[in-house]
Amino acid sequence: MARREMVRTQEVVKTYRMGAETIFALNGVSLTVYAGEYVSIMGPSGSGKSTLFNMIGGLDRPTAGEVYIDEVDVAQLDPFELAWLRCRKIGYIFQTFNIIPVMTALENVTLPMAFAGLGEDEARDKGARLLDTVGLGQRLHHRPAELSGGQQQRVAIARALANDPAIILADEPTGNLDLKTGSEIIELLCRMKEEQGVTVITATHDHKMLAASDRVVWITDGRISRIQSREELDIQIGAIETRKT
Amino acid sequence: MNPRCPEITGPRDGGGAARRGRPILSWRRTLRMSWANVRNRLGRSFLTFLGIAVVSAFFMSSFCYQRMVDAIAVGADVHARAALERAGVFAHDPESAQRQRDRRVWLMALSVAVCATGIANTILMSVTERVREIGALKCLGALDGFIVRLFLIENLFLGALGSAVGALFGYILAILQVGFTLEFGLISAGSCLRCLAAGGPIAVGAGTALTVAAAIYPTYVAAKMKPVDAMRSEV
Ligand SMILES: Nc1ncnc2c1ncn2[C@@H]1O[C@H](COP(=O)(O)OP(=O)(O)OP(=O)(O)O)[C@@H](O)[C@H]1O
Ligand SMILES: [Mg+2]
Repeated sequence: MARREMVRTQEVVKTYRMGAETIFALNGVSLTVYAGEYVSIMGPSGSGKSTLFNMIGGLDRPTAGEVYIDEVDVAQLDPFELAWLRCRKIGYIFQTFNIIPVMTALENVTLPMAFAGLGEDEARDKGARLLDTVGLGQRLHHRPAELSGGQQQRVAIARALANDPAIILADEPTGNLDLKTGSEIIELLCRMKEEQGVTVITATHDHKMLAASDRVVWITDGRISRIQSREELDIQIGAIETRKT
Repeated sequence: MNPRCPEITGPRDGGGAARRGRPILSWRRTLRMSWANVRNRLGRSFLTFLGIAVVSAFFMSSFCYQRMVDAIAVGADVHARAALERAGVFAHDPESAQRQRDRRVWLMALSVAVCATGIANTILMSVTERVREIGALKCLGALDGFIVRLFLIENLFLGALGSAVGALFGYILAILQVGFTLEFGLISAGSCLRCLAAGGPIAVGAGTALTVAAAIYPTYVAAKMKPVDAMRSEV
């Protein structure tokens, strides 16, 4: 069976001008992610992970090169289509959660459903179900300020899943969380992938998070330096464990 | 559906009627969301409300006071003249009376302008501190136009309500002021209604316009930003 391409970047370049100097945040990144895959993007700080995420998510435009989401060239989309893509196709999770502080967990989760045109009663039921899935069934009417960091990130995950996106983009979703909570979040993402077939792309610093991934893409200085598949990872993780014992 | 945004066929696609919906909210839901935003941000909203109410009240009280005193001065008999002189709003020669009046009007206009600038700044800040939220809304699929509309309605609420309450308050204040500095008996119902009809629309109209204008400009700028830039903004 031919695997369906979900995301394809082609020689993506992103430069920032800092005075007279030009910084290459991304310097020719070509990457294909298939439907239903869990891909981790690893790399040191400043290597261009977030920049790549923003390109894939249609939150920023590349200086050169193309980004295709499900065979559609993102650069060709008009504002309406771009909004549609962000609303339906992609769920975003950020390191800083970015949930709306004055809204309750349920209101946050139902917001993108409203943008998608779902009726209010339907949205409320679905929102409650999603929050239950992420383990916040008892916290529907809490404001972000009344939730812990891990719980806020769960709200963000539920919100990202609101319109049954095909892709979840998570930029260091565990960056602000402790180890245990972080592992739970990764587990949750993994479960979404298994149960619902979402394509998950995450960036992380944490090597322990690699175990969940189907593939790991290493980025240094705006270029892909290495791509490891599941099999190579198993060997590597095995080796680490052998060394430890 | 648009040819460049083809229907997705995978197992992950939500179904049915929702798929055809546009990523924009109906007026009714936008209205409700605006109202919820006003309520949820009560502290901030109240500040905007209070600010615009104070400006509006100040304008209205000065405006109506002047109008009523003018009305009394026009057909003043000996008794009214004495009251006006006691209050210091009447001079014997018309030229210096006019000069005095001009100076008061000028001072009032200047004060209103100063207050309005301060309030505009408060409102500007109330939007600027929400630029990150605007970025998040864009990530969730909100159109620029929707964001502008949302903020427009919110500030329309606050501006209209604030300036109306303020105008009413200022109006009562003006009547009391005339009554206590001159005499309640000198106020005619006609002049009372006339100054309300003249000043009310100016106070409410200008107050609402000021609130909306001060809010919409930064909202428009933020809504036009790329989501990355909006979410990076620090306030
Ligand atoms: N808005 C910007 N203006 C100027 N330079 C930028 C901007 N955004 C990113 N950069 C530069 O691009 C490079 C890549 O940044 P990016 O945020 O993608 O790194 P990252 O891999 O996500 O790092 P981290 O792991 O710390 O989040 C950095 O050198 C950064 O300085
Ligand atoms: Mg980053």
